[in-house]
Amino acid sequence: MVDLENLRTIAKETISREDVKYFIGWREGTYGFSVSPHFVREPAEADKLIFSPLCSNNLATYLTLAEKLPVPRGQEPDTRKVALMVKGCDSRAVVQLLVERGIEREQVVVIGCPCQGVIDTKKVEQLLGQPENVVRARWEKGKIICQLPDGEKEFIKEEVLAQKCLKCRYPNPVIYDILFGEKVEPWCQEEDFQEVKEIEGLTLQERWDYWQEKFSSCIRCYSCRNVCPLCYCEDCILDRLNPTWINRSVNISENTAFQLSRAFHLAGRCIECGECERVCPVNIPLMKLNKKLSKAVKEMFDFEPGLDPEAKPLQASYRPDDKEDFIL
Amino acid sequence: MSEKFEPNIVAFLCNWCSYAGADLAGTSRIQYPANLKIIRVMCTGRVNPLFIVNAFQQGADGVLVSGCHPGDCHYMEGNYYARRRFSLIRELLEYIGIDPRRIHMSWVSASEGAKWKDVVEKVVAEAREAGPFDQFRRNKINW
Repeated sequence: MVDLENLRTIAKETISREDVKYFIGWREGTYGFSVSPHFVREPAEADKLIFSPLCSNNLATYLTLAEKLPVPRGQEPDTRKVALMVKGCDSRAVVQLLVERGIEREQVVVIGCPCQGVIDTKKVEQLLGQPENVVRARWEKGKIICQLPDGEKEFIKEEVLAQKCLKCRYPNPVIYDILFGEKVEPWCQEEDFQEVKEIEGLTLQERWDYWQEKFSSCIRCYSCRNVCPLCYCEDCILDRLNPTWINRSVNISENTAFQLSRAFHLAGRCIECGECERVCPVNIPLMKLNKKLSKAVKEMFDFEPGLDPEAKPLQASYRPDDKEDFIL
Repeated sequence: MSEKFEPNIVAFLCNWCSYAGADLAGTSRIQYPANLKIIRVMCTGRVNPLFIVNAFQQGADGVLVSGCHPGDCHYMEGNYYARRRFSLIRELLEYIGIDPRRIHMSWVSASEGAKWKDVVEKVVAEAREAGPFDQFRRNKINW
């Protein structure tokens, strides 16, 4: 059970601190499944905070999304901290941001929330056979209980958990200042990359056809980039016109180039929070691309991003004895 | 098509080793296939993986990235970074179904004119085997 009273007390204490700018958490959405991010600036606003299996948003995105407006002359910039609620996967994003110095450690207060897995809303809708208005959900004794308009419904965890959560090895935050709730026992010890291996088993032509079919539906909304906690370049190649790395036209060649560059820019950085796949309006299995790179990084460099704040970024470092069997 | 297929290969050569190596092959009158379009870069570390993607989009049938041997880089460590990057983009391109025979990297030093010939022959032969690569080509817009 999640002790919301405790969470709200923590939030109130944190936001009352003088060195904290605002507190980012989750609150109930206005419609159905949606849980929206909640920016707490006053202690009174903390009463809306929740933590439930519907809180799938990765709030670490907001650390780098915050607009840095120019400061008027004679004024000091606001250097106060941002308090942030993180699940296990989100905390890895924070660690990776620290590694890349996208943020500094003293700029954040991390509220760690051990997580038992979040719901994939598409799976619930499939089980129920229709779009349902699930307002609330909670974990209870290894099950997930959803509140529907006509009463409560119990689900087995494996049925409704998001794909990323089924293989989650870090349900507990890897970095935190304040821990909210009890630590949970990880339910998956090792990543087996099953989905990646399935695709790798296909022939070249089959793989090409598979991905072309997926990429052809891409509408280039760039949601995957916008939601990603680690896509925070101020000057993104997708927006840049000179040089134009990737044309804006939506066709199969440009879509493929876009997907390749998006995936590649996360090579050795992706912490597998699955947000890109969740927000994709045309359901491209983006995690299969990201996981492939994670697998390659793991096999070739024995590296996993987002675990050690002292680590060097993978692509900004090297070892003289890196594998080079492919070199002529 | 009765005409024999000649692969179109884009080669990114580092200024200090491979470009000089190719130059040596030329001045030594070593014969090698003429399918290469050479682009000189200062270091293989300059080769953004998107260069490779872009080359394919613009109609290349194969790409070769060639630089100094590890430890010989003019900038001390550029080729080490390039090697990491290249190994990852290679995996990714192969994963989405681009033939790995189209994507090559090699170390050729300034004194290895003969090795340069072997590398080019191998690259061209493999690209020829893989055949023309039109699927990824950028649409020509006819205004």
